[in-house]
Amino acid sequence: MLTLVFQMFAGRANLPPTTNNMTDTTLNDRLAALLSRASLGDKNAFADLYEATKSKLFAVSLRIVRERHIAEEVLQDSFVKIWNHAADYAVAKSAPMTWMTTIVRNRSLDIVRRPNLEVADDDDFFQLNMQDERPAPPEQLATKRDEAHIVRCMKGLEGEQHKAISLAFFQGLSHTEVAEKLDKPLGTVKTHIRRGLLKLKDCLDGHVNEGAAV
Amino acid sequence: MKLNNPELMSRLAAEYVLGTMKGGARRRFNEYLLDNRALREEVVKWEAHFTPLTEAIPPIAPPARVWSAIEARTIKKQTQLSAGNLKQNAAESSASKGLFQNINFWRNWGLGASALAASLLVVTSLGMLQPKDAMLTAVLEDQGVARMVVEQPNSNLITVKMVKPWKADDGKSLQLWVMPKDGVPRSIGIINQDGTTKISMGDMDSMLNNGTAFALSKEPRGGSPTGQPTGMILCKGVIAKMPAKNAAGQI
Repeated sequence: MLTLVFQMFAGRANLPPTTNNMTDTTLNDRLAALLSRASLGDKNAFADLYEATKSKLFAVSLRIVRERHIAEEVLQDSFVKIWNHAADYAVAKSAPMTWMTTIVRNRSLDIVRRPNLEVADDDDFFQLNMQDERPAPPEQLATKRDEAHIVRCMKGLEGEQHKAISLAFFQGLSHTEVAEKLDKPLGTVKTHIRRGLLKLKDCLDGHVNEGAAV
Repeated sequence: MKLNNPELMSRLAAEYVLGTMKGGARRRFNEYLLDNRALREEVVKWEAHFTPLTEAIPPIAPPARVWSAIEARTIKKQTQLSAGNLKQNAAESSASKGLFQNINFWRNWGLGASALAASLLVVTSLGMLQPKDAMLTAVLEDQGVARMVVEQPNSNLITVKMVKPWKADDGKSLQLWVMPKDGVPRSIGIINQDGTTKISMGDMDSMLNNGTAFALSKEPRGGSPTGQPTGMILCKGVIAKMPAKNAAGQI
């Protein structure tokens, strides 16, 4: 009954025909509204959500998994997850597009299978395991909606760092694969990525602090 | 020995989000994420940072069959079995036409066909016996009074329903734990004080496989600071696993 009332009120959302500007607050608000209605079982809202985001998300997955049939499977699984978990979005504290893109990227990265699987440094995991789990600082970071500072911070990276990090992110490549692609020794690539990430972190944290101070 | 290394956590979280971590390393990291809230928050932070980069990717329209398959698995759901992996895909193939165009499905057909028959049989018979085909269920009680119901509708999801709202208690959190055979509780997550809480994880199965019971404890706001229950156990209940899950697990 509730769902029915919802549908009567909601009708079909008039989404913009293109979804070129995903940072657009209006679009994000609209997607958030669709997600919230989908969490209540509103099928039209779910269909609209899919229409509004499918091409973007499909492209994101395709870059990583490279094969269309796998990207199709990823999109399927991801939207099943989005349907089942739409209610969780409310507490995710990120922009809807970030939340959904993360689901698609994670699914893509989880299922992508390539010969050069890389094992993370055991030392890292050992240390992590010994980590004291402290209470985290109060949530403050993921709520920011204007997140495109990454673009500016990426520009601040050195050429090789930028290349390595971009390859890893867009194509979901492992260190080994990035090294092959750039024709560089593995150690060099790891260093580029490590240092690049540190630099990014400084740049991004700096920005977060600026934002918080305002 | 307790190392305190936020830099390492941040770097690993960044590499996880970046995508350089694959296969076993990624699965291990996923496991760490279950237990480590600070690490989860670090990951969320990096996700928020990195995701806007995807705006540069030109959209590509997926074929219409993807939506048909999604519809079949959600809106027009004919079976509650969810596809987290190929084994389950095989079991739910009747509900998902798109799957028949899926190469992975065919590739695994030989492997899964007999098990498919077996699991469909179990699913069918279960359907007659049970209103819901959860993979796992537990009723948590306190002194003989049912307080909450935990169910696992699919391999990535746990739902927790409060029988009646829990009294709010000066900012404390309710944390759900699974108790494995080895006796060391593992955190499932923080539970809402009323209504239904849904908790999603990448691979709930591996975490719950050895679980024998669930328990709810009262913890400081945001969850146990030690990774183990520190507060009073409020209610607990033995896990009942559904045969459907076992049948699928034997493929």
